[in-house]
Amino acid sequence: MAGKSRSGCEALKVVARCRPMSRKEEAAGYERVLELDVKLGQVSIRNPRAAPGELPKTFTFDAVYDASSKQADLYDETVRPLIDSVLQGFNGTIFAYGQTGTGKTYTMQGAWAEPEKRGIIPISFEHIFTHISRSQNQQYLVRASYLEIYQEEIRDLLAKDQSKKLELKENPETGVYIKDLSSFVTKNVKEIEHVMNLGSQTRSVGSTNMNEHSSRSHAIFLITIECSETGPDGEEHIRVGKLNLVDLAGSERQSKMGAHGERPKEASKINLSLSALGNVISALVDGKSTHIPYRDSKLTRLLQDSLGGNAKTIMVATLGPASHSYDESLSTLRFANRAKNIKNKPRVNEDPKDTLLREFQEEIIRLKAQLEKRGMLGKKRRRSSRRKKAVDGESATENEGEDDNEDGLEKNMENYLKEQKERLEEEKAAIQDDHSLVSEEKQKLLQEKEKMIEDLRKEQEATELLATKYKAMESKLLIGGRTIVDHTNEQQKMLELKRQEIAEQKRREREMQQEMLLRDEETMELRETYTSLQQEVEIKTKKLKKLYAKLQAVKAEIQDQHDEYIRVRQDLEEAQNEQTRELKLK
Amino acid sequence: AGGGGGAAPAEVCEKFRTARTLSAVESRKDPETEPYRSKYSARALLQEVKQLLSAAEEGGEARLVAVRRAVLEYELGVNHTDTEELSAGEEHLQRCTQLLEPHRLSPDCVSLYIQAQNNLGILWSERDEIKTAQTYLESAEALYNQYMKEDGNPPLDPSEHFIAEQEQLTDQERSKRFEKAYTHTLYYLAQVYQHLEMIEKAAQYCHTTLKRQLEYCGYYPVEWALNAATLSQYYLSKQCFMESRHCLAAASVIFSQAGQVPSAEDRDEIEQDQQDLRQRKAEIARCWIKYCLNLLQSARKLLEDNIGELDPDRQLELKAQRKKEEDEKEKGRKKAVLFGTSDICDSVLAMEEKVSSVYPLDFQEAREIFLVGQNYVQEAKEFFQVDGYVTDHIEIVQDHSALFKVLAFFEEDYERRCKMHKRRIDMLEPIYADLNPQYYLLISRQLQFELADTYYEMMDLKVAIGNRLEELDSHTIKKINSLAQLAIKYYELFLDSLRNPDKVFPEKLEEDVLRPAMVAKFHIARLYGKLITSDSKKQLENMQTSLEYYTFLVDYCEKYPDAVRAIETELELSKEMVGLLPTRMERLRAKLCPFI
Repeated sequence: MAGKSRSGCEALKVVARCRPMSRKEEAAGYERVLELDVKLGQVSIRNPRAAPGELPKTFTFDAVYDASSKQADLYDETVRPLIDSVLQGFNGTIFAYGQTGTGKTYTMQGAWAEPEKRGIIPISFEHIFTHISRSQNQQYLVRASYLEIYQEEIRDLLAKDQSKKLELKENPETGVYIKDLSSFVTKNVKEIEHVMNLGSQTRSVGSTNMNEHSSRSHAIFLITIECSETGPDGEEHIRVGKLNLVDLAGSERQSKMGAHGERPKEASKINLSLSALGNVISALVDGKSTHIPYRDSKLTRLLQDSLGGNAKTIMVATLGPASHSYDESLSTLRFANRAKNIKNKPRVNEDPKDTLLREFQEEIIRLKAQLEKRGMLGKKRRRSSRRKKAVDGESATENEGEDDNEDGLEKNMENYLKEQKERLEEEKAAIQDDHSLVSEEKQKLLQEKEKMIEDLRKEQEATELLATKYKAMESKLLIGGRTIVDHTNEQQKMLELKRQEIAEQKRREREMQQEMLLRDEETMELRETYTSLQQEVEIKTKKLKKLYAKLQAVKAEIQDQHDEYIRVRQDLEEAQNEQTRELKLK
Repeated sequence: AGGGGGAAPAEVCEKFRTARTLSAVESRKDPETEPYRSKYSARALLQEVKQLLSAAEEGGEARLVAVRRAVLEYELGVNHTDTEELSAGEEHLQRCTQLLEPHRLSPDCVSLYIQAQNNLGILWSERDEIKTAQTYLESAEALYNQYMKEDGNPPLDPSEHFIAEQEQLTDQERSKRFEKAYTHTLYYLAQVYQHLEMIEKAAQYCHTTLKRQLEYCGYYPVEWALNAATLSQYYLSKQCFMESRHCLAAASVIFSQAGQVPSAEDRDEIEQDQQDLRQRKAEIARCWIKYCLNLLQSARKLLEDNIGELDPDRQLELKAQRKKEEDEKEKGRKKAVLFGTSDICDSVLAMEEKVSSVYPLDFQEAREIFLVGQNYVQEAKEFFQVDGYVTDHIEIVQDHSALFKVLAFFEEDYERRCKMHKRRIDMLEPIYADLNPQYYLLISRQLQFELADTYYEMMDLKVAIGNRLEELDSHTIKKINSLAQLAIKYYELFLDSLRNPDKVFPEKLEEDVLRPAMVAKFHIARLYGKLITSDSKKQLENMQTSLEYYTFLVDYCEKYPDAVRAIETELELSKEMVGLLPTRMERLRAKLCPFI
């Protein structure tokens, strides 16, 4: 794995993806303004209203994916290493950012039914459970949550009661969490897909206008993977990796959506509603040494670990190629470019205090002990009862004791219960037949026996319940080859491995290319030992041209930057707050 | 019925009314696929009305006809702007103002004229031409002022030109609508000034907007209170304590109106509302804390001499000055910002009485402000408990600690000053201990640094106390040494937090931690120099350690000259020490082994 730097810092990984021209766009005769250089990882964007001579702007990312790229390419090259890290106990976040209609959903979800077109989310499900099924000597627990943030309110998409708004809270030990967020333990791909579908349904049902809703709300699918393993020290260690799969609201200017009321306006626009007075006032306050009530966004707080925290983060910037979305594409590219500067310090979460896995393990041990106790008890009783020939009310089921094979458990229990029951019936008959007893006494004895049979039945039920619970719990703990089995054959595995190698290779190649490009200018100067005056002039002219072009580009950029200034300021506000806190340190 | 005098024909009125309902109410329910469906229907109706009118126009009174047409142009202008047809919208609005121009100061036109200009302002801001927007809005503002000066009677609402005579509005309602339109003018201007970075003006217009909301009862108490509290923070950053206090006092008074209204029926919802209310209250308390803290800190800045101690000459000077200029200036300023009608105003003024807004100049005055701040700390902490609100809670505790720190400045007695710092330690240390630095790295570092600084300060005080004695007793020495060790411990913890996962100290420090890290190193160096020991060997060791830390600073700045800017004075001292220490150590060594 390519560790980025020695200091433990790792920049946010940013990739750009461009969808093909749509039929509509082609029909309308829109120009293509985006050019992608996959080898170099560069995107160039040309202003359709540009003055002649204005150069396209170029942005470099960790990788770029053009219209011909496959879902699997993006996954193998970019996402797979992150999911592997999550399985090792890192926190990871993937989010798609871009204008609505540029393929955010296609990238994240894709078309589930067609294997070729499945997006990051379904492939990562597959990836996670395949990894677990191939693991050895490790126990896994996988659970999923699904939530939505809409107008600063958090909704649990998996909860029965949808009216309840959830609260974002903090714990000194474990950081930010959402109080009462439900989560489901999932045992395989099918189950986790089911959870996802359930939430997606709730999401669409809860809103009157799906399109508007989804383009203005953020959804986060959260997978927590706990893994326990016995370390070299002989102790059992638990690592917890959390994966945030984030579907951000559309980045486009909301005015295009024709929304009403408090739509977030461009910075230079006037907000019509007096309810935004608070925003106007807080924008005037210098954050230093003052308190500004109620300003941080829930999304930022929730993802703070992913943006400058301990997580590994990937951002996929999605773009449309046509000229009519030039403004949005450019602002997406700029945002993505800034995101490259965010540095994280990823670290493994080892042995945190409150893991569910530990809880499960303890519960299983407890249940097992209970079952064993019942089993043992029953055995003793049987022996003694045989000896004494007298039965007291407490009968119990039996597990053939020391035998660890759980499959036998039920059978044993059944056999024993049958035995007991038969015996009781026999005794009942015997009493019936015994003429030496007074009828009153007989009646009493019979009742007693009846009661015993009844007790036995209840006991049986309780034990059965215990056993099912035990089994259910046990099955949730995933152990490679035992509770979860890998179905891919060797050939497929090899194929996978090869694919990953190729992806890795591509990645390295691109890094080298980018490096080369950087060196290019230096090299040019070194190469310039002139053989003739003529050549010198030629080269100098070329250089001059190049420099001139660069100058133009820079000039244009400066102008743009100036225009951008106000918008950028808002984005930087977060950062500024952070720095202010930092300042207090000094 | 002729369209001439009196009310417009009933059919026209009906259509006009329907158009307005479509535009304002129905349009909210339009589907995503046809976001402007209702707006377009409204537009069609308005066009119809326009035609009906021009048919009936013949023989009508010219002025009345013009005004009615202006109303329609206005409605059409707004309609087009809403549907993103800015050019058409502009045309209609311009036509409206042209029609009204001659009569703009008469009661049946002024409100419409102002609203048209408001909308032109919005339109131009949509086009990113904020300066043009400013012109329209400022002209609306001027018109309002002129009208109020020359006439002042409640003017007609534009909609009244299209309703039956018996439905005409009351003066009270007219005034309410007119003032509301003007409040919007001011609110839009506030935003315009903000975008033009005329911050002071923007704040002034926000203030006036708040004021008018209060006067015309157009506000939600909680929201209003929070906005006022936020505005107080703007005044803090400008050192305008009188204005800041006024905003805060008003915020507290208005907020207290909020609690009584049970708005929800559902029990869960009530609970949630109560929770929200408690949080908002705590937010306002936090603004008060900042007020007290800033006031004390600003006073400190005025009073301190070049080594950070209270300067008695300055104190006398400021006290004399205060007597002279008291009130005069303040009263004028106060008038400009005063909130509310008389009864609210009285409560606000009573609230203000509880804390001063002038710089405290001695311990007694400082203590009063401190106590008010401390009360708000308790109030804020009641809601923002560690469990659930870690960051907020710690920020409040940090403010509490800062309150003690600045109060200590005013305290003359060193022993008591030391005790105040001890209080800071007692509140910070347990919080720090419970905090997982993995999730709260930044705060954790701040706490480490503050704890280290506080221990350092306490040690300095103990040394000063010791210096007054004839001879240092062993108890004081022990105390000094242990405080120094604790300070070192926390500085080291801070420096350790900078190490990467492999525990290596970074070769080059990040910009944001450069100064704190250097200061920590520098302080550790000094602390090792201050440790008291009778064992010369030990002393030599301490000097060696001290030298190493000073050398780090000097070497680092040589390697990265950019760093010099951040720590100029510390670097200078370090250089000196790097020059001095070796000779001193040499001398000490010579004393240790005189025969070598």
